[in-house]
Amino acid sequence: MHEIDVKSGLLAPNDAVARENRHLLAERGMYAVNLMSAPGSGKTSLLERVLPMLAAGHRVGVIEGDIVGSCDKDRLDRFGGPVHQINTGAACHLDARMVHHVLHHLAEDGCEVAVIENVGNLVCPAEFDLGEDDAVMLLSVTEGHDKPKKYPLMFRRADLVVINKVDLLAHTDFSLAAATAAVHDVHPGVPILAVSCRTGEGVAEVGTWLERRIASKRAAPVAVPAGRLR
Amino acid sequence: MHEAGIALNLIEAVQQRLASEPGARVAAIHVRVGELAGVSTDALDFAFECLAASTPLAGARLVFDAVPLMVACEACGVTSPVVDLVFRCGACGSERTRVVSGRELEVRTLELVEETEVAHA
Repeated sequence: MHEIDVKSGLLAPNDAVARENRHLLAERGMYAVNLMSAPGSGKTSLLERVLPMLAAGHRVGVIEGDIVGSCDKDRLDRFGGPVHQINTGAACHLDARMVHHVLHHLAEDGCEVAVIENVGNLVCPAEFDLGEDDAVMLLSVTEGHDKPKKYPLMFRRADLVVINKVDLLAHTDFSLAAATAAVHDVHPGVPILAVSCRTGEGVAEVGTWLERRIASKRAAPVAVPAGRLR
Repeated sequence: MHEAGIALNLIEAVQQRLASEPGARVAAIHVRVGELAGVSTDALDFAFECLAASTPLAGARLVFDAVPLMVACEACGVTSPVVDLVFRCGACGSERTRVVSGRELEVRTLELVEETEVAHA
């Protein structure tokens, strides 16, 4: 009996493609954001509000991840830019390989910004790096303010946390203060924006945040961040 | 929830490594799993057992080595464990911390048995 070393990361195949995606984005000066949340938190509703703001200044492409169907794509087709649907079949998340060829299409199509709407799920998408510049995650008031402590990886992963459906605050026991404290326990210092995609409250700030990130990427287009271990 | 895919990656990584060890059978595979790796070891064990059944790794044991979740403080330099999922520095309370362990998910070592040892056993 003897022992040998292997030292092989078990997400290495995904991480390798994520690195390729990151290089593609850097090469083309393209910015990509990965939008994640539980099902029904309002990812598509947020995009309906924010895409027109981004599209005013950039050519924006969208990647829609869903297990089946194209309901979300049909809603977003109205904004006018290219919207690509990825149906994962049974998979509960997008991985780097699934978005790889679509990112190429968007780059060929002249897109400067790629918005990736992940499959609704607070667990698996957090594990799979897509090579994006930023991860934005949504938490909605109806889900409860305890979620950051139940799904810490997702909240660690986020570069921006958006709390949606604040128009419902008065009808629930959701505490914005408790949610903020829990998010900051898990991810100290991460910016939090409170919005209502239904009334439009606060959504302009999300657009402004994204514009700032797009601008800073364009100012330093070749920087390839390392990713992971958050 | 994606342990089956991870088990497949594991089987492939081990088989690649075995290419340079002819005549060896794998008795055990040591896997380092961070506290915040986001993986269920029970589910991974089960997926491995099912998927390895039709490969030369059939019958190999998975041994999980847990890695604690630790942050290093960029303000005071101390490394401390993350307690109750609070990622601030355990020594000075600073928010400027960086995860230094606890996200691992990797095959570390293999325990091998020579086929001749098996024959004599």
